[in-house]
Amino acid sequence: MSESVIEVRNLSKVYRDFWGRPKVRALNSLSLDVKKGEIFGLLGPNGSGKTTTLKLLLGLLFPTEGQVRILGRPAEDVEKNERIGYLPEESYLYRFLNADETLDFYGRLFKMSSAERRQRRDDLIKLVKLEHARKRQLKEYSKGMTRRIGLAQALINDPELVLLDEPTSGLDPLGTRDMKDMILELRDRGKTVVMCSHLLADVQDVCDRIAILFRGELKVLGSVQELLEAKDETQIMTSHLSEEAKREVEEVLKKHGATVKSVSHPTATLEDLFLRTVAESESRPGRRFEPGERPSTENA
Amino acid sequence: MIHEVPIFHVDGAILAWAIVFVICLAVALLVGFVASLSAYGLGGPKMFVRILTGGLRDLIQVSPRRIGAIATLTFKEALRRKAFLIGLLFLVLFMFGGWFLSGTDLDKPAKPYVAFVMTAMSFLLILMSLLISCWGLPADIKDRSLHTVVTKPVRRSEIVIGRMLGYSTVLTIILVLTSLLGYAWIRRQVPDAAQNQLIARVPVYGQISFVDRNGEPARSGVNVGDIWEYRSFIEGGTKARAFWVFENLNVDTLRRAGNLRLEQSFEAFRTYKGKVDEEIRYSLWLLNPEKDLRVLVDRYPVREFTTDVSDAVVEIPAELPSSDSDGGTVNVFDDLMPNGKLVVEVACVDEQQYLGTAQNDLFVRMPDRTFLGAYAKASIGLWLMLVLIVMIGTTASCFVKGPVATLLTATAIFVGYVFKGQLNEMLLQLQSKGQILGGGTLESVYRIFTRMNQTTPLPENAGTDLIKSLDQGGFGMLRVINLIMPDLTYFNTTQYPANGFDVPFANVLLPSILITLGYFLPLVILGYFSLQLRELEHK
Ligand SMILES: Nc1ncnc2c1ncn2[C@@H]1O[C@H](COP(=O)(O)OP(=O)(O)O)[C@@H](O)[C@H]1O
Ligand SMILES: [Mg+2]
Repeated sequence: MSESVIEVRNLSKVYRDFWGRPKVRALNSLSLDVKKGEIFGLLGPNGSGKTTTLKLLLGLLFPTEGQVRILGRPAEDVEKNERIGYLPEESYLYRFLNADETLDFYGRLFKMSSAERRQRRDDLIKLVKLEHARKRQLKEYSKGMTRRIGLAQALINDPELVLLDEPTSGLDPLGTRDMKDMILELRDRGKTVVMCSHLLADVQDVCDRIAILFRGELKVLGSVQELLEAKDETQIMTSHLSEEAKREVEEVLKKHGATVKSVSHPTATLEDLFLRTVAESESRPGRRFEPGERPSTENA
Repeated sequence: MIHEVPIFHVDGAILAWAIVFVICLAVALLVGFVASLSAYGLGGPKMFVRILTGGLRDLIQVSPRRIGAIATLTFKEALRRKAFLIGLLFLVLFMFGGWFLSGTDLDKPAKPYVAFVMTAMSFLLILMSLLISCWGLPADIKDRSLHTVVTKPVRRSEIVIGRMLGYSTVLTIILVLTSLLGYAWIRRQVPDAAQNQLIARVPVYGQISFVDRNGEPARSGVNVGDIWEYRSFIEGGTKARAFWVFENLNVDTLRRAGNLRLEQSFEAFRTYKGKVDEEIRYSLWLLNPEKDLRVLVDRYPVREFTTDVSDAVVEIPAELPSSDSDGGTVNVFDDLMPNGKLVVEVACVDEQQYLGTAQNDLFVRMPDRTFLGAYAKASIGLWLMLVLIVMIGTTASCFVKGPVATLLTATAIFVGYVFKGQLNEMLLQLQSKGQILGGGTLESVYRIFTRMNQTTPLPENAGTDLIKSLDQGGFGMLRVINLIMPDLTYFNTTQYPANGFDVPFANVLLPSILITLGYFLPLVILGYFSLQLRELEHK
């Protein structure tokens, strides 16, 4: 977990209108690294620049300032794409093709024999559970089905690096679970995954490290583990305790000078962090949190 | 009569292409370099070189596999967007066309049928090629489906070429289908009596020269007062003659055919003298100046208004009686065509009447080819034009949206097809005389508003000087347009089968092929850089 797969330095993007006048500053001086083999999450509310970041990484957009290196190459390099898979925000596919034709078409853009292509196509259709709809044109697909074929398309070349833009949007809870499992499986097979999302539970479940963007600025960067860990508190999770056992535990804790603050069931806390970050950023624009530092609780 | 296309010189054309290509390239490089400097300052040149070398690599290392994939996709897209419906439209047109055309009694009844089929076909297919090629890529960019494609290892040059190939394939299939349909329709609809007009004559034209009434060489014949100076007239019963020299005839082919066929379309001019109800006749000799041979073939009536096509044909047997009155014969092929050179002398027989002749009024008719062949070649001419339109449309759609691309391409077609001849003529006039009658755009407007005659010189003042210099700029623009726009007059092959002629290869099909090929590389380069240097966001 040391080699950088993606290096972003001072990346800024200003969208311009037809006449070249600046319209939106979508990204402001973003710097981050993604390490080989990790699942990296880009978080942020709508319009915070997540999609813009991915498009800049892929060379779909040209940066206004700053540099990008992806798999050791510049973003506009075509050959890097041999090793990359990309799931766009809304699967931008050809609606007049069916699932088989779609995978075959994208497969033909890679160096693959036709036997290999067919094999890969069948495996992926099975993986994303679209066997029943493989001969139907994509224009008849539901949103969830489109997401699935979009993922299959992104994996057609067995990429080393997968970029997923809102992979779980439009999926039902089951589909979401499947998608998360697939993402985790990709990591287990040594792939690097970058996903962006505003669905926090998804990110918390799968990501090793995250960055939170707000209005194009990086606010928080670090490992999920570290960011969510409250260093001055300790959480002990046990199986069910009897009343007597609880009382005894409290005794022990009192002996060590600690107090029990609450006894409850664990809850998702990433949501908290996210909301606090947004609130803090709104009241104090321009502030950036250092790795490990967290927005204060008072504002929430 | 066949509308003449400008003679095409292959060497000159290739040289001209290379020169224009290099100039355009140099201008583009210069503009690019300056733009990079102004956009990125001192880092500009480095960027410029990087884009250029990247572009060179992308243009050279194209993969047939990926081009094939994109072409197939384009093909499927066109089919599923129901492009083939145009074929149906064509069918309907045929049904109605047949209805209107039947019952016409023109002197050449086969012609309107053939002309109708070929014109309808060109019109529909040109329209279709324009529409399908100009809207595909912009839609692809708008739907962002192109995003998914360019994040695969696809070079943008491959997208441009693949699109061109895909559209061309669609059009090829539709063209083949409609031509077959059209051919069957012609064969069925043309009246039996006119079926023999469905031929492909192969003419060889000669060089004309004149001798005046005193037997002295003359630059032309007599002008009888026609405004149209196409024909020049020779006086009957005098020493006035018209001569045609035909070169490089294939004597073996003619010998195998057994006779020599000439075909004429002379015109008679009757004065008030002589007998009104008598036909005017011309006589025809074959000469061999080297052997001092001059053999009279026969005298023939001029029947310019006849409906019988065979009246125009002069059949000359292989053996002609020699004029030495010793009863011997002369062999046409052995004695009168040394090295494939044939000299024909024509005189008007009747005193005080005139025979109108033009260079193309007499030609050697080589053995006929099949109508199907000529029809197929005409379709190939149309096909080449469709491919060219697809290439222009695809390239235009790389940098502008569908409607604008359609407009641009339509303008290119219009200029190339309708306006190019005039443009050429005008610029030639400008070059030879230093000015154009009535002046350029602004000067013409000035003349219209001041109601000034075209030939009156402009008053000398600062205003007219400004007008003139601005017009010079306009002429410069026109020169550039003339150089860059394709000359589509070569592609208009309809007239050949309609008039019962074969489609000549060297002067019609070859130029079309070369022009289409010549535009391929520049258009791909232009399309590639347009796609490469822009963000594929819909604006
Ligand atoms: N093509 C575009 N033209 C102009 N502005 C854009 C364009 N795409 C995105 N933006 C703007 O850039 C900002 C960031 O957008 P985006 O990266 O799509 O956000 P996210 O993916 O985080 O929701 C938004 O304010 C959005 O309106
Ligand atoms: Mg987004």
